[in-house]
Amino acid sequence: MAKGPAGVTRDEEAQARVMPPAVMLRVVEATKTFEGVRALDSVSFEVRAGHIKALIGPNGAGKTTMLNVINGLLAPDSGHVHFQGCDLVEMKTDRIAFLGLARTFQLVRLFSVNNATVLDNVLVGAHKSLRPSVAGTLFFRSRAARNEAAAREKAMEMLRFVGLEKAAAMQPGALSFGSQRLVELARSLMADPRLVLLDEPASGLNDAEVESFMELLSVIKGRGVTVLLVEHNMKLVMGVSDDVVVLDFGRKLAEGPPSAICSDPLVIEAYLGPECAVRGSP
Amino acid sequence: MTRLARYWWLLVLLCIALYPPTLGGMSPYRCGILVFVGIYVILAVSLDLLMGYAGQISVGHAAFFAIGAYASGILTAKYGVSPLPAMIAGVLLSAGVAWAMGRPVLALREYYLAMATLALNVIVVTLITGMQSLTGGASGLRDIPAFSLFGFSFESDVRYYYFVWSVVVFVVLTSLALVRSSFGRTLIAIQSDETAASSFGIDCPAYKVRVYVLSAAFASLAGSLFAHHMSFIAPDDFGVLTSINILVMLFLGGSGTIFGPVLGAGFLKLLPEVTYKFQDYEMLLNGVILIVVLLFLPRGLYGVVTAVRNGLVRSLGRQ
Repeated sequence: MAKGPAGVTRDEEAQARVMPPAVMLRVVEATKTFEGVRALDSVSFEVRAGHIKALIGPNGAGKTTMLNVINGLLAPDSGHVHFQGCDLVEMKTDRIAFLGLARTFQLVRLFSVNNATVLDNVLVGAHKSLRPSVAGTLFFRSRAARNEAAAREKAMEMLRFVGLEKAAAMQPGALSFGSQRLVELARSLMADPRLVLLDEPASGLNDAEVESFMELLSVIKGRGVTVLLVEHNMKLVMGVSDDVVVLDFGRKLAEGPPSAICSDPLVIEAYLGPECAVRGSP
Repeated sequence: MTRLARYWWLLVLLCIALYPPTLGGMSPYRCGILVFVGIYVILAVSLDLLMGYAGQISVGHAAFFAIGAYASGILTAKYGVSPLPAMIAGVLLSAGVAWAMGRPVLALREYYLAMATLALNVIVVTLITGMQSLTGGASGLRDIPAFSLFGFSFESDVRYYYFVWSVVVFVVLTSLALVRSSFGRTLIAIQSDETAASSFGIDCPAYKVRVYVLSAAFASLAGSLFAHHMSFIAPDDFGVLTSINILVMLFLGGSGTIFGPVLGAGFLKLLPEVTYKFQDYEMLLNGVILIVVLLFLPRGLYGVVTAVRNGLVRSLGRQ
């Protein structure tokens, strides 16, 4: 079967046009307790293939915890996370990555030791396809060199996509916080993900940068990559997402299209405040 | 000029090859010192793979040095096995021990990892001392024959110098090939942030064990070379002090660079050859020089070399 760049088959694309898109990720009654505090309290939601879904809520609502549960960094006390026919709850983070899940981090986590460059960081995103081994490196040198050259070309393409190709040889610490977030985005896209989790990608960006980041997101979506986005910037959330789920104190408060979320009195009271309906209308 | 600079390694090989007939004066003593330097270069480089790249501290690297030395020593002196298969047996044994210990030990971090690796060193030395009938115990293992390969004996120190330095070149080139590839990048990602690394599919425990096995195998090679050079080995040669010496060489030279530990091992092993003239003050002088280097050269000796090289390139570029 012919596969597009995001690993989506032609059939799936055709299907998406006539029917509501298939479910890419299904979280079922996820519960996580930290020392008696319920960070997640029986949260269920779905992310449809090809959609941008936003996860919003006040600080401490459990948004990052939710991403860490999906990503396998945290094991939930109970509940399930279905993705690609697997229950992620039983899998280790590195195996989950091989299923086609990539992410960025709220507090930027770029590799910085041993003078690692921005390009090196993006290249680590290609681990799934390179799968470096001792024997492969030492004994199959020409194949390793070919794969490396192809990966470098693709990494530069990713850096061009986020507008940072000039920073390729720089060390990530020399970049602004906003640029570091974009390097993280490039690194996650390098992994050819089916689903990418973005944890507050727009924090630290100014208005103009948010605008261009929104354009990036719609291009990513256009390539068939599904996005689950944790974000506080309502202009971004209401502008790009197909669907929003609201968490408050670990519980799901509401779920629906941005317009419905904006006018939901519960959400307005808990999080958005009365000015959202005006500011966020698309 | 820059094109010439690309072939600097040929110059290094030439220096290694020409040392015995020139500076070495074909003297067994002078070549013997360089044999020790070579053995410690292998040890320090092997530790660099583990610490400088994968970021896993080991305060017990002499454990694998010991396993290699005793495997070679026992098999050749007591069972008449020829040196090459004995050396390979040592490497396999060290790699096996590293593989078995790797998962549980490398799951630890920082101080706990340091303690566990230190414990491994102590256990190996205790076992060697205890297994008297096999290892000779505390009084040591004697009459280890010189290294020979297909009937060709490396008995003279000049010949052995060439053999040891061939192994050094092999270990350094292999290490460079690894760290400059995507494998090395993966190790750096693990050292930097295991959470982020695993999110991109990197199986951190598996990679840490692989590097540990490789590092142990190289250290074991150094052990075999050491046993054949000394012809007499004792548990004292492989204590925690030796492990700490290897660590000092690594940090002195600059960790995470491969070339750094080469310089560090050379510096630390050759320093006494200069300071011995000061007799009673020798230890004091060595200590002071070490402290000065560690305090004022945070990136080690290799940091100085790169700074000088970059300065040269810049000034040449300007002309």
